[in-house]
Amino acid sequence: MGSRIEKHRHKFLWLILSFVILSIFGVFLLSPAAAENGGALINNDQLIAISLIQEEEGIGYPPDDMACRLCHADTDQEIVFPSGESNPVIVDFETLDSSAHGGLTGPGLACTECHQAADYQFPHEDLGMADFREYEIERSAVCERCHLQTHLTSHPGDDSETPIVCTDCHGSHEVITSDQWQVGEGTSVCVDCHISLEVGIDDPVQLTQIIRDGLFTPEVDSQYCLSCHRQPGLTFTFENGDEISITIDEEDFLNSVHGDDNPWQPLECTNCHGRDTYPHGPVGAGSEREYTLERYRFCAECHERHYEHTIDSVHGRALEEGNMEAAVCTDCHGAHDTVTPNVPRERISETCRQCHSGIFDEYKNSIHGEALLQDSNPDVPTCIDCHGVHDIDDPTTAQARNRSPELCSGCHADENLMAQYDISTDVFDTYVADFHGTTVTLFEYQDPNLETNKAVCYDCHGVHNIKQPDDPDAGIKVNLLETCRQCHPDASENFPDAWTSHFKPSLEHNPMVFLVDTFYEIFIPLTLGFFAFLIATDIYRRVRVRFRVRIKKND
Amino acid sequence: MSEKEKQYPRFRIGARIEHILLLTSFTILAVTGLPQRFAETTIGFNMINWMGGIETVRIVHRYAAFLLVFGAIYHMMTTAYRFFVKRERMVMAPNFKDIQDVKDFVLFNLGIEDEHPKMYKFNFGEKLEYWAVVWGTGVMIITGLFLLDPVATTSILPGELIPAALAAHGWEAILAVSAVVLWHFYNVLIKKFNPSMWTGKLPYDQMEEEHYLELERLEAGGSPWPELDRPVLARRRRMFVIASLIFGGLLLAVAVWAFTFEETAITTVPRITREVFVPLATPIP
Repeated sequence: MGSRIEKHRHKFLWLILSFVILSIFGVFLLSPAAAENGGALINNDQLIAISLIQEEEGIGYPPDDMACRLCHADTDQEIVFPSGESNPVIVDFETLDSSAHGGLTGPGLACTECHQAADYQFPHEDLGMADFREYEIERSAVCERCHLQTHLTSHPGDDSETPIVCTDCHGSHEVITSDQWQVGEGTSVCVDCHISLEVGIDDPVQLTQIIRDGLFTPEVDSQYCLSCHRQPGLTFTFENGDEISITIDEEDFLNSVHGDDNPWQPLECTNCHGRDTYPHGPVGAGSEREYTLERYRFCAECHERHYEHTIDSVHGRALEEGNMEAAVCTDCHGAHDTVTPNVPRERISETCRQCHSGIFDEYKNSIHGEALLQDSNPDVPTCIDCHGVHDIDDPTTAQARNRSPELCSGCHADENLMAQYDISTDVFDTYVADFHGTTVTLFEYQDPNLETNKAVCYDCHGVHNIKQPDDPDAGIKVNLLETCRQCHPDASENFPDAWTSHFKPSLEHNPMVFLVDTFYEIFIPLTLGFFAFLIATDIYRRVRVRFRVRIKKND
Repeated sequence: MSEKEKQYPRFRIGARIEHILLLTSFTILAVTGLPQRFAETTIGFNMINWMGGIETVRIVHRYAAFLLVFGAIYHMMTTAYRFFVKRERMVMAPNFKDIQDVKDFVLFNLGIEDEHPKMYKFNFGEKLEYWAVVWGTGVMIITGLFLLDPVATTSILPGELIPAALAAHGWEAILAVSAVVLWHFYNVLIKKFNPSMWTGKLPYDQMEEEHYLELERLEAGGSPWPELDRPVLARRRRMFVIASLIFGGLLLAVAVWAFTFEETAITTVPRITREVFVPLATPIP
């Protein structure tokens, strides 16, 4: 802008000289124009200069700031609005020139680039604004002509009843550069407002950081997002009224399996949320759950196998059938605070508890549940040891039932494991040897459709509420007959003894079976041995006779 | 007809029918039963599946068992007929001579004695087999019925009888089948085919070796079966028919009853309905 003044200096001097001569003749002619402009707003010299400039460059386009500066650099005039407010029209051109929009620091904007030429022909017409605020809002709209990516959405825009517009924070002629904002020069504006309105941020230092890291960061990384989202108390309301916290606990996030503080693959916010720079685009989901269901699919980007398993699982199928509540990745693992899911081991069952609290309450009092939850036992099954993790199958199918004994045997036939707890590993073999077990484990094992009526482990021992067999209150031995009667309603008191109680026959346990076995183990070889002996002697004789006959014939 | 080709009567049609009845039921029982005893082996498992699955096999086994029980009742009736009506000698009863014969047979085979023991119509081997079948069938029917009606059994008898019966049933099956394969098959098929259960007759040489004393008796003009005066027979028969109808009918009724009356277990285990989705009111962080 200074350069323009330089350029026109010779013209300017010439005009002053002309003006002296012309003023003698024209003083009366020009006086009505001065009156029309509200009296002596500008002096005659200025007026003549403007006219000449207009003449030279053509009507309608004040060529540059020259004309504006002629008057606005030094005037004590005020613009008065119908509301009664008034505003001085003087402009501090020194500040303007050193502002972000000034020619000294940037590309330099002409006055008319904001104060549109069409509206600001000299003599100036009435602005038609009711009050100063309306004027401010109207003016701020022009910022968007250049600043396409405004961050207006962070504040109520100009269609709000109480709009906050660009100039409220950035000022008009004294706009500072982004560099200056980043070092915190402008933030006092924000703080002043936020303190007075009692909304959110009131720490200038923190605000500065947000502006530096957030609004002006060259690349979107987690720190960019966190610069806002670490602020406590941030919420987002979905269309349906669901309000969620959008504050992210930075510590949890960094400690999560995806956080920088872990040895695994650290993730940035944008890995899951996309390069959603500020201001954010509209949220498509209408409710919190919709958002979750939209978002959890991103887990598949890295965890494809687990994702596929989950799709086929009982949860995945329920979701497909339209049960929006069916668990997806983040329901169990969390979104931002994803921790190692099985550390400590109790966490596994506690996770399932979120949705299956009824089952959990049964489990927690079982022999397995007590050991897990009270002693953090590493061997007892948690939910997933029986049900699977991601590929959780429907446990109510015939096949699941038919295969359940093998599931139990996975631990209960493991000698090393059971030895620690002094539990017999004969349980599975003795079950298979029994009528129930033979049928189920051998013949019905593979059949997914066969609803067996033969007892499996859990029919007698319970499912989630398994107790020790000799538990004084709820153990199976307390009332075995009652257990038998679940399937054998006519069973009498002797009936439970028909079950060998998982003992291999011995003199101590099931002596009658033991004696029968022993009898036949001796009797069968003796009988067959006797027969074999008789047969052997018979064969011996026949061979001998045939041999002798041949010899005779040869003779 | 030379002396050597001469055939001697041995079994009448009734005995041969009984044999076929036993052979049929025994074979089906063995084929459907042994794989159950050895279900955990590949052969046993596959055999059961080839035969239509465990449930089918079990049902077939029970029908065959009923046939065996029917055969047993029929045999008891015919035996009673021969004992009470015809008053035949109890030629099957074991006696001291049988033990003697075994000894002589072995010594002869070993070349220590020069002569094959001379034996009556039923020699020691046949008696052994007969009584083995009686014993085995008895054990199998009793233990089988225990297993078929465990609830009824244990309402009177101790519970442990059931697994013991199961053990005995399996062991006895092994014994019976191996005895038949070893002893019976050797004697009637391998050593030399014995056609008497099919034709009713046995040729001279086999008679001579196995039943010399019977051969001698027949050669001397003895009747193969005792003959009675018609009036006496008719009177006794009348009595017997009435008694056998009552007794046999009763036995058969008991058998049918025992095979069908007990509904041991419920057919479908009731499904327990649980409320699965019970989310916690306040999620655990």
